[in-house]
Amino acid sequence: MQLGFLVDLHLCMGCKGCEIACKVENEVPLSTWRLRVKYVDVGNFPETKRTFTPLRCNHCENAPCERICPVSALHYLENGIVNIDKERCIGCAGCVMACPYGAIYIDPQTQTADKCTYCAHRVASSMMPACVVACPVQANIFGDLEDPTSNISKYIQVHQGGVQVRKPEKGTNPHHYYVGGGNVTLNPLASHRVNGHSLFNNITTLPIGGKH
Amino acid sequence: MAHEILAATNAVVTLDVALPGIIWPWLVTVNMWAKSIGTGVIFMLFMLVRMHPNEVAKLRLPTAIVAFVFINIFLLFTLADLHQPFRMWHIFVHSNWTSSITVGAWMATIFLGLLSLLALLAYKKEDVKFDKVLLWTTILAIPVTLYTAGLMAQCTARELWQMPTESAQMILAALLSGSAFMILMGGNKLSEEAKNSLGVVLGLSALMAFIIYMAEYIFGPMKAEEVAAVLDYVKGDGPYTVMFWIGQWMTYLLPMLLIVLSRASKSESILKLAAILALVGLAIVKHVWLMIPQLLPMS
Repeated sequence: MQLGFLVDLHLCMGCKGCEIACKVENEVPLSTWRLRVKYVDVGNFPETKRTFTPLRCNHCENAPCERICPVSALHYLENGIVNIDKERCIGCAGCVMACPYGAIYIDPQTQTADKCTYCAHRVASSMMPACVVACPVQANIFGDLEDPTSNISKYIQVHQGGVQVRKPEKGTNPHHYYVGGGNVTLNPLASHRVNGHSLFNNITTLPIGGKH
Repeated sequence: MAHEILAATNAVVTLDVALPGIIWPWLVTVNMWAKSIGTGVIFMLFMLVRMHPNEVAKLRLPTAIVAFVFINIFLLFTLADLHQPFRMWHIFVHSNWTSSITVGAWMATIFLGLLSLLALLAYKKEDVKFDKVLLWTTILAIPVTLYTAGLMAQCTARELWQMPTESAQMILAALLSGSAFMILMGGNKLSEEAKNSLGVVLGLSALMAFIIYMAEYIFGPMKAEEVAAVLDYVKGDGPYTVMFWIGQWMTYLLPMLLIVLSRASKSESILKLAAILALVGLAIVKHVWLMIPQLLPMS
């Protein structure tokens, strides 16, 4: 079994339901995120459009975080999920530095690394991840990539030419795919980040884990 | 590539979480700086034993102690940087051997053991045994110096550090700081010739490190757009431009000039000034190179 995720960006409407469901399900502390939806506005007024991109751990086949973790706190489960053992983590932040997707953070409460686990605890009980359940438009598609009859495999087959991953040049082989993505949505360098121009919060730096 | 697209799309992030900021702070700078000195003085002692064997009698014990102290500083700051420092022992009981951190922790521990042995042998004035152990300590000092480059290369997110030049810079930093510290520590224990040898090592390592930094500065952006974006932080009115150039001048350019001057005027004071500048500047150079890739948004 190789679990994977696919997000159809054509369907995503940026409601952030997945983000909130993840926060609640996993008790993610304030100022930290396992899953977030990034808004990027493209074009010049009046010819503008807004894009929405859910971003989470990519559960890479060749995960840099698993490789750099000195104590194997980050480890693979048999179903392909890159899981984290917070009791073992020493908080060196090597994984935070290694992850090319910015998907790992230091939990300010436990002072250990944390990230999306595809809701491994729910999956173990044959439940879908919280974000999948919460999505009102079924933009999040989750399942076994090795099973050709699974929804995600079928979706990939139907959209073969349009399936993308983030930063393929890193050689991480992500198990997280996007349909309908483009450079603006998937490449963080393809958009400006301007302080004070965000809708609800300043895009600025926060001390994480009590450190600057 | 991205900046050309940016001009066409005028894409702006209008809602996102805050950027995480600096993950590895100045503690890691001190870690790298102290390790360079700790291994560098061992390299220099080994060189002096080979080139000027009659002059190292009074340097064996001080060098072993200096290396011991700086490797302990390195380990202390490594520990201080952990968010869970009391779980440090997990590295030794749950070792993940694909991690440079694990490999480095084990090697540094063995290295510290050898340094303790060297200090003991120097204290007992057992020079023959000391020199034999010094050989193995010097050999181990090479991977201890290099493992940080391996660790930085494992940071897949930070393209700037994933260059082969990083390994060369680690060794050059050790040679530079080791020779500088030895010049300051040697004082009247060393002859003019020995000081000249150390000055040559300091000057050449400064020259080579500077050339590599400049090559990365100029050619790095051709490698990848991430490198180009990161190097923008040390170009123009970038947030680290001033610090970058202060570091380059203090660590490399001024010491090179001062070493030439000291040789021409046979002035030990000028040589010592070069050594001090190189030691202080190295911390600045390392700090800039540590910080700038962390400023780049990853997603």
